[in-house]
Amino acid sequence: MDYQFTEPTWQLGMITPIVLGALAYLLLQHGVLAKSKQLMAAGVISFCGAIVFAIGFAPSTMESVMLMCFCSIATAGGISFLVAREPVYAALGFATAVLSTCGIMFMQSALFLAAATMIVYAGATIIIFLFVLMFAQQTQLRTYDVQLTHPVVAAAIGAVLLITITMCVTGAKGIKLASPDASRPYSGAVLPEDLRSSAAIDFLKTQPIESMSVPGTTAGLGRSLYTDYLIAVELAGAVLLVATIGAIALAQRPAENLS
Amino acid sequence: MYDFLQQIWPTLWPTLAAIGVILAFVPVLGLYMTFIERKLAAYVQDRLGPNRVGPFGLLQAIADAIKLFLKEQVIPDHVFKLLYFIAPTLSLMTAMFALVVMPFGPVPTDYTSGFRYIVAPGIDIGIMMMIAISSLSAYGIILGGWASNNKYSLYGAIRSCAQFISYEIPLGLSIIGIVVAAGSLNIEHIVAAQGGDFWNWNIFWQPLALIVFFTSALAETNRLPFDLPECEQELVGGFHTEYGGIKFVLFFLAEYTHVVTVSFLTALLFFGGWHFPGLSGPVDAGLGGMLLRTFVLVAKVSMVVAFIMLLRWALPRFRFDQLMGLAWKGLIPLGLVNLVCVAVVFTFDLPKHLLSFTAVFLFVASLISARNLQSTINMPRSAGRPKAGSILSEVTV
Repeated sequence: MDYQFTEPTWQLGMITPIVLGALAYLLLQHGVLAKSKQLMAAGVISFCGAIVFAIGFAPSTMESVMLMCFCSIATAGGISFLVAREPVYAALGFATAVLSTCGIMFMQSALFLAAATMIVYAGATIIIFLFVLMFAQQTQLRTYDVQLTHPVVAAAIGAVLLITITMCVTGAKGIKLASPDASRPYSGAVLPEDLRSSAAIDFLKTQPIESMSVPGTTAGLGRSLYTDYLIAVELAGAVLLVATIGAIALAQRPAENLS
Repeated sequence: MYDFLQQIWPTLWPTLAAIGVILAFVPVLGLYMTFIERKLAAYVQDRLGPNRVGPFGLLQAIADAIKLFLKEQVIPDHVFKLLYFIAPTLSLMTAMFALVVMPFGPVPTDYTSGFRYIVAPGIDIGIMMMIAISSLSAYGIILGGWASNNKYSLYGAIRSCAQFISYEIPLGLSIIGIVVAAGSLNIEHIVAAQGGDFWNWNIFWQPLALIVFFTSALAETNRLPFDLPECEQELVGGFHTEYGGIKFVLFFLAEYTHVVTVSFLTALLFFGGWHFPGLSGPVDAGLGGMLLRTFVLVAKVSMVVAFIMLLRWALPRFRFDQLMGLAWKGLIPLGLVNLVCVAVVFTFDLPKHLLSFTAVFLFVASLISARNLQSTINMPRSAGRPKAGSILSEVTV
């Protein structure tokens, strides 16, 4: 599990496509608005350059090819979400993006996360969106829906954000994997078979912390959630409960509206 | 390349074979389930059913298939073409994709070699994966209804939306107890936990969960007590009004695939899977034992399928408010009660067969609903109206 890439070429290969992509976006945006073919052509060339750069620097293993397939599908879904004229197609683009992100999660063995995302987003949220959109009138889009107000700022913020994320994830001083606290009995570390026996807990306490890796199994995830991140889980539960109560309170209709 | 193939071949061929089994069986199963359903319906209604084509009418299914394939492809003018064509395939695709993590026979404990009766063995989140994928199956119906671009189809799609979202909640709630007992979401582990004693089958200590699970799973299949998205009398056919020929077949193949999936899940989660008195224990037998276990599982599954088909002629269709009331006021509270009971029993290390008394809650719930019904009937008309204040109080049953 080597998460820490430090070679400078790899980072260059990640950052250059982002900058080129932002440039391409701006050029295309202006080209479409000004109906200028030169600007649009420059945008397309810049976009192709970004893709070539990304492919040239990416490792050409089977895994990265599949990753790139999922990523391109997700990006296509995101783009269609933004530019679709019909709201239903926009929702479908969103669904495509979510599902291909789930594919990436499957590739990284984050099975639980993938299934949960599928249930919550693709299965429930987007279906509710569709539900609402079907009732919506199918009229022409308003001008404020299709016009961007600050494309330069948006592109700059997006590029900076992406570069920061790539630096954080791949850099030497990047995000460290949280190591579970072995002094607590049920911490999210690999446990022997029987959780309830105190012998198992004693055995665990004798183990050095280095040998405890975050396990890739769903059971390990659950154990970690309810020990190492217990307060966060409890807080999230409380917030959800409040939100549910709020939803019920908001959904109440005044009496005169009932026929 | 050749070396690579040779290297992965021992794990590749069982997967390909399992995929082949699913791809081959789903259409045939779909065809013959229509035939069986027609025969069963005929027996229920004291008729003969199809008996002209072939011995006992067995070739009727083939004749139907040929007819449907050769039909003219009518494409109405007013539909949104792209989604109109995508919707039926999407429907079938999600239905078949859910079979990836479903064991259709005894999965051997050592699944690194040999045929293993499942496409993807050892998936850590088996049952959750199935729920995740079957939650996508609403897309086919919704998009089909919307793309048809007429009012009745859209009504069907919207009903289907509400139904799917509502019934997913009790579906998830009902299986948590079993997952807690087995200590795993993996379907193979859940089945293995039911091995040994006959009384270890989950139905004997989770009867309430079985009812909740089966009802909500049935609602997700769009079968008759719950077939509001396509009800002929109100919506002309609902989401599939504009579909004919092979496109219609795809929708119904998906529905029958769902029925099979639900039956398999019921058998695997509640009726002990491939275990049977005298045939329990870990799966390590030779070919004979494997075939016997497959037979046991398939027999249980066919019983559930037959039950679902008979249910169609036993229960009338729900009204829409009854449908919503059943999910939100019936099944979700029952699922929560069951969950609390399971938590109590497992926290205090009580014997888990105490939980069979959760079945009592069913009678409590039915008593409450019967009382509500009675009071609504006896009340004068103005008093029986829903009170303002709660969105759910529109439901009276």
